[in-house]
Amino acid sequence: MSPFLAQIERDLMIAWQNRQDLGVMLIFFVIIIALFPLAIGANSAILDPLGIQVVWIAALLAILAGFDRLFAQDVRDGWLDQVSLSPLGLGWYALAKAISHWLTAGLPLLIMTPVMAIMLNIPTIQWPPLLIALLIGSMGLTLLGVIGAALAEGARRGGALMALLILPLAVPLLIFGTLASQSEDGIISPHLMLLGAVFAVLLALAPLVAASALEIGETETGL
Amino acid sequence: MFDYLANPSRFMRIANRLLWPLVAAAVITGTIGLYLGLFVAPADYQQGDTVRIIYIHVPAAWLALFGYVGLGLCGLFYVVWRHPLADVAARAIAPVGAVFALLTLVTGALWGKPMWGAWWVWDARLTSMLILFFFYLGFIALANGFDRAERGSRPAALLALVGMINVPIVKFSVDWWNTLHQPASLLRRGGPAIDPSMLTPLVLMLVAAHAYFAVLVILRMRSLLAERRIAALMLRSGGGE
Repeated sequence: MSPFLAQIERDLMIAWQNRQDLGVMLIFFVIIIALFPLAIGANSAILDPLGIQVVWIAALLAILAGFDRLFAQDVRDGWLDQVSLSPLGLGWYALAKAISHWLTAGLPLLIMTPVMAIMLNIPTIQWPPLLIALLIGSMGLTLLGVIGAALAEGARRGGALMALLILPLAVPLLIFGTLASQSEDGIISPHLMLLGAVFAVLLALAPLVAASALEIGETETGL
Repeated sequence: MFDYLANPSRFMRIANRLLWPLVAAAVITGTIGLYLGLFVAPADYQQGDTVRIIYIHVPAAWLALFGYVGLGLCGLFYVVWRHPLADVAARAIAPVGAVFALLTLVTGALWGKPMWGAWWVWDARLTSMLILFFFYLGFIALANGFDRAERGSRPAALLALVGMINVPIVKFSVDWWNTLHQPASLLRRGGPAIDPSMLTPLVLMLVAAHAYFAVLVILRMRSLLAERRIAALMLRSGGGE
């Protein structure tokens, strides 16, 4: 098996061992959605048009909240040192981390979304654009989270710092994502293409930035 | 050139020589610009005297963007060539740029209240300036977020680089999202769309703001370098941190 796949498999196994953490993330997603009607009121004239936006904000917060200590364990137990010496390299390692994290956080969230869509009275005709946009958007957010976690690795107050770093950069995903989800003429809207373009930029950028940040973090903590 | 300037004390010698001319330029152009802008330039036929906020608002907005480009370039120099001064310069620029961004938002709110009837509207330009302000804050927080200050240099430089690529996308997406603000009227094809009586003070204020920005950055770099020197001397003398 290639080192890349081995890395993904390892992270998935670790995630499976700590599987109640996945439940926590999903419950967080559901709770954020439940907070909106509680704050706005049960008036369906106000609530119903906001369904898609509420799902997006909840997804954004739930995904980014899961990134707090993405690399911490690997730094502490020396796994990162082994990776940087191995043929895998830090860039592929970061990409593998992103994939396994999306599989354990983004995908369950996506599966949960139809249930939330029913609770929020989102008409079924809006489901395909919402799910497609959320699929691309959650992958993009995961890549941003990998950038944030790599940059903030080893910092004091990593979690709050990460939110400050990542949320401004997540604006394009949020804007194009919500616009694409509201598309009324077919799934492939211009906004979905723009969302895909932002995702492509992040896909090229994230492994490089994360590798560069982890490289220094690793040599510095080794001192 | 870069190698020549890589020596901090050599760089600071040159910067110190530039300091007083820059102070003079800022004071002179700023005084004339403010005088012309506040007393000589005519009031706008629609906006009345409120239009005079422009002489602060536009230079502040330019410098907020200028500082962001500077931050990105410093990040590039630091990541690619490990230029030691690039980190010092970035740390010096970030708070100055953040304050200019804040100043843009505040003067914009003061201007928007009488003109648009609201302190704040979720317009594309306002929103992207707000996000730029957050970006500055994120940079500052990351650069100072580690127990050893130098440990934050590289992540912060990388963030500046990511921002260099991402902030234009943010700007584009926000423009797509909503626009109410007037389009650019200074740098556009066919010359500026402003009468000379108002353009002259505006240009003077822009010069003053750039000189002032440079003065602040040089002063901050000087104190940052002095701080590092003190820390190094303390370490060498066994005094710890």
